[in-house]
Amino acid sequence: MNATAPAIAVPRRRSGGGITAGAMVLPATVIVLVMMAAPLILLARDSVNHFDPTDLMTAALTPQSYLRFFTDPYYLRVMRTTVLVAVSATGLCVLFGVPIAYRLARSRSRWKSAIVVALVLPLFMSGTVRTLGWMILFIKGGLLGSVLRLVWPDDSIDLMYTPFAVMVGLLSFVLPYLVLILQASFEKISPALEEAARGLGATPGRAFRRVVWPLLLPGLINAVILCLIMNMNAFATPLLLGGPRFAMMAPQIYTEFATNNNWPLAAALSLILMFVTLVLSVVANRLVPRRYRA
Amino acid sequence: MRDSVPEFRLRRRALLAGSVALAAPALLSTRARAAEDRVVLATWGGDYARLLRENIDTPLLAPKGVKVVQTIDDEPPRIAQMIAQRMLPRGTFDVASLEAAYAYRLKDMNLLETLDESKIPNLKYVHPNLRTNFFVPHIYSPQVLIYDPKQVTAPTNFGDLLGPKYKGKVGFPTNNNFYVAMAASLYASGNVTDIEKAKALLIKLNQNGLRLYPETDSIAAAFKSKEINSGVMWLARVVMWQNAGISVAASFPKEGSVLYVSGFVVPKNAVNKQGAYQFLNAMLEPSAQQGFAAHMGYLPTVTNAPLSGKVAEQLALPNPAPRLVSPDYAYDAKETAPFNSWWQSKIQQG
Repeated sequence: MNATAPAIAVPRRRSGGGITAGAMVLPATVIVLVMMAAPLILLARDSVNHFDPTDLMTAALTPQSYLRFFTDPYYLRVMRTTVLVAVSATGLCVLFGVPIAYRLARSRSRWKSAIVVALVLPLFMSGTVRTLGWMILFIKGGLLGSVLRLVWPDDSIDLMYTPFAVMVGLLSFVLPYLVLILQASFEKISPALEEAARGLGATPGRAFRRVVWPLLLPGLINAVILCLIMNMNAFATPLLLGGPRFAMMAPQIYTEFATNNNWPLAAALSLILMFVTLVLSVVANRLVPRRYRA
Repeated sequence: MRDSVPEFRLRRRALLAGSVALAAPALLSTRARAAEDRVVLATWGGDYARLLRENIDTPLLAPKGVKVVQTIDDEPPRIAQMIAQRMLPRGTFDVASLEAAYAYRLKDMNLLETLDESKIPNLKYVHPNLRTNFFVPHIYSPQVLIYDPKQVTAPTNFGDLLGPKYKGKVGFPTNNNFYVAMAASLYASGNVTDIEKAKALLIKLNQNGLRLYPETDSIAAAFKSKEINSGVMWLARVVMWQNAGISVAASFPKEGSVLYVSGFVVPKNAVNKQGAYQFLNAMLEPSAQQGFAAHMGYLPTVTNAPLSGKVAEQLALPNPAPRLVSPDYAYDAKETAPFNSWWQSKIQQG
């Protein structure tokens, strides 16, 4: 009997033969890069073009659109509102999302999968459809409006076209993402660590604060940055639930592009929004001590 | 033992051949398109697109072998597409739906075909004040004062909206802001180009609790919930909402009504211009015009499409005939963007 193990044929790599895995990934990578870079380059170019109300956009190299943003109090106010709403909505997401994700991760209930599905279900429909659902609830004579009227009969409270409506709309959109990310982070933190801390005399709160929270931070910061980006760039929610008097950057960019046909200003606002979002993301990342970062 | 699984190797020639095969339909599409007399129409969706199919494409053009393919989008992306494609020899659509104000702007930018009127025989029936050589009007509607007769009596002019019974109950869709300004200008000065006087009126209205809505249809919901009792709106919308059972009525302002006109243009780089002409002529047919009046409440732009029954009653102009005023489109093109900036900072945020 031959005791030697059967030889496994290892295919030799032949030069110039088939396309390797790396080469097959290359076209997709190039396409993605081009499709991402080309619009950004076009945006940057358009942002320094000249705008004329009659001729619309004409080729030029002028900073007029950027100057307008920085000198017109209206646009600065819109940016301030956008940052304020995005940061507040992200904060509320963390406030509501951390306990939900923690309970979900530690749950051994047979309903856990069902709860996760229920959490993800709103993401199955488009943001606009979901926002229309909120409109039906908030509008005067709508479900929530009618209930509120029973408590507050003088009809003076508006839910629709208010910052409250925008905040609720944003939370409903972003919260599931945050919970899913945090649930995955909590799942990676062994309950044994908490038990050990409590065995050493820590209260549940202290065990969470000193043991779980630092381990959660890398995942939390990723979730926060994602929420921040989504909130900063929200379009349908502020447009439909905030109404014309509640201006945020993304609807404002569309107005400049579509209503005023001011493509240079729309391009400049897009790049400024992108830059501010990037700065906020970096700041959020820096708020976490280096030793806790991923 | 040699591995028996056959090797799959993608060779460069095979890759190239595959790419060409995949791209072929796109490369050949323009030629194929012209051969089967296909007209690509860029238009709004919803009821408008459906009514185009039901009143023009299917009954009038399909029997002649003309197939209309609709590409559905809002007006701003359609305009953006036309501007972006201005340098291309072949555009992606043959006919585009546009509001008259935008058609005038695109004409100024030299993007529109000057129409050969001999190829649109029905053009001779178009109301003379709506005719141009680059834009064929499809539907129009006068701007009226809309009110809820169950809540208030009819306002008779724009200034009435500043009265106490309308305080906090006047609503406009913000996308109609320039038309509202024209209505205010008409009241203040008797013409549609005195935007400064209009601004003063709009500021007063805003201080009086003006309610703004993101788009036209939200006005219907606001009337239904009694959040507002009056505003400025197209007669067509009033009729449409009346038919939907909402308590609204129209009052023609004494100072006159600004006209909203929507129609079609042919881009200079349209591929199938003959097909485009066939479409333009068909949409001016009396049956097509009457169909739109019956279902959307817009008035026919031709003189040979009389209305009858309930539609005629709803769309009838009062006696004596009100003053109907066309916008000054050249003025609009110059003033809309600065006005919008003013509107944003003084009315929306005011």
